[in-house]
Amino acid sequence: MRALVIDDSRAMRRIVTGILTNLGYEVRDAGHGGEGLDVLNEGWVPDLATIDWNMPVMDGLQFVSAVRSNPAWRRMTMMMVTSESEHTQIVRALAAGAHEYMIKPFTADAFRDKLALLGLLPQEVAL
Amino acid sequence: MTSTDTGQRRRGSDARPVITELIDEMTILAIAEEAWVSLVGEDEVLVPIPSELPGDILSSWVDVVGPWTGSVVLTTGRATAEELSRALLRESAPELLDDEDVADAFGEIANVVGGSIKAALPGPSGLSLPQVGNAPLVRNAGDLCRVDVVWRGEPLTISVQGALPPLPVPTPSRENEVPL
Amino acid sequence: MSLTATSFDWVRELVRKESAIVLQPGKEYLVEARLLPIARQMGLPDVGKLVETVRVRPSAEDTRRIVEALTTNETSWFRDGDPFTALTSTVLPSLLSSRGANERLQIWSAACSSGQEPYTIAMLLDDVLPNAASRVSITATDLSREMVQRTRAGKFSQLEVNRGLPAPMLVRHFQRAGNEWEVSSNLRRMVNATECNLAAPLPRMGPFDVVYLRNVLIYFDLPTKQSILRRVRDLMRPDGWLFLGAAETTLGVDDSWERVVIGRSSAYRPLKGK
Repeated sequence: MRALVIDDSRAMRRIVTGILTNLGYEVRDAGHGGEGLDVLNEGWVPDLATIDWNMPVMDGLQFVSAVRSNPAWRRMTMMMVTSESEHTQIVRALAAGAHEYMIKPFTADAFRDKLALLGLLPQEVAL
Repeated sequence: MTSTDTGQRRRGSDARPVITELIDEMTILAIAEEAWVSLVGEDEVLVPIPSELPGDILSSWVDVVGPWTGSVVLTTGRATAEELSRALLRESAPELLDDEDVADAFGEIANVVGGSIKAALPGPSGLSLPQVGNAPLVRNAGDLCRVDVVWRGEPLTISVQGALPPLPVPTPSRENEVPL
Repeated sequence: MSLTATSFDWVRELVRKESAIVLQPGKEYLVEARLLPIARQMGLPDVGKLVETVRVRPSAEDTRRIVEALTTNETSWFRDGDPFTALTSTVLPSLLSSRGANERLQIWSAACSSGQEPYTIAMLLDDVLPNAASRVSITATDLSREMVQRTRAGKFSQLEVNRGLPAPMLVRHFQRAGNEWEVSSNLRRMVNATECNLAAPLPRMGPFDVVYLRNVLIYFDLPTKQSILRRVRDLMRPDGWLFLGAAETTLGVDDSWERVVIGRSSAYRPLKGK
């Protein structure tokens, strides 16, 4: 399975990439929404995108809307992974088309729980 | 907390709240502890005791803009910021952390702590991207809530501070003016 | 004696073989925390001794307890969601067709911990039943007073809501309360939390249509398991449904239950005449 990790923080990209790689994902990353779209436009469409909200150039919400407007990217699951944690923000992200929402800070266990909900946890599970 | 708040600033319709009316030290500490346990490591504790910061310090912060406007600032010794960054990255930490790595990781911790603090404040509010360097000045000692902790024996402060100077206190003569 | 690398590797291999779950290096603390209650029950001072004892004299029972303790997860919401899927897909429609329109459905979450299970049930029922608050009553019990109080309060930290609670359900049923999330008053009204020791005579409750007794039996020996199952059965309606943890069963423990497969999970129903 493939995942695209979009976050402007290198540290956070490394952490999320580490979790997903341990689960057997093939991972690419991007520093903002625009770079994320570049990856998709190359034809590398992942099963999962994890998306930070506040980023320079193109934020996570704009990325989600852009993905939603292209039918070719329909089957991609989008999970916001962000420190934005107000009730209204989560509602906005879901309304824009995000499937799940993970609030920072999170643990690796919480990440696995979310993937299980989304049906994106590989069979042999690492505890 | 020292405060010269006379209550007068809350009278007018344009009154804005100060941070001590919105959040307390306990909540800030609880938020920071959650961030530490999940980001830095499961056994990482923050001990809430005041302690002198070293000379060479580094701050990371995010701005919150909304009904309350200010910054959530983490400040610690430069070496501690580096250790914190390494702990955050764990096995994916590079052999040598450069300044940019530290700024990025330390900034991300401010982002996570700031996001949770913002959610505990009245909204809607916006959150800025994290910045790292010399902390913004405290503009109003009455609009500040600060928690001093020790992490792995090193001091660190979390300061939630207003960005605006105190509102001018109306003078009695103006307050007694009779509207025409 | 604390856990040596050899002991950890042995536990790791055991769990991998029995459950296909891989314990990663660095999870020693998890092994310590989860196995300590078992060691104590066996009268052993620590987990190192427990591993040593089971290695020298392996028994199916002890092996299973170790695997179960390491593969269950008490604190998340929908992880191992199959018993909840079964509730809405099969159990609820069956109950609604056999009960009167004014009959209140009674559900028991028998080891509710900090409340994730009873509120998960409440959320699911609230989403499918128009009048859930008046139609359903959920009894949540736990041995620990602190857990009962937490369940009553219905407040969860950010870290807790991150553990397997779907975001659409979070925004539908929770509000922010400072740095925590508070479950809606509607759901809190459906849940009654009270202290209860399953290993002692049970208070007057029920009769229950559905009982969730998950990841509890693993901590008890065979005779205690048998008496718990008997007492639970006495509080259930004759056509009720019992859900156990994924790795638990009544088979070989108490033969007065019929196992019913529902999708990927199993429920147990009282056998008539037993």
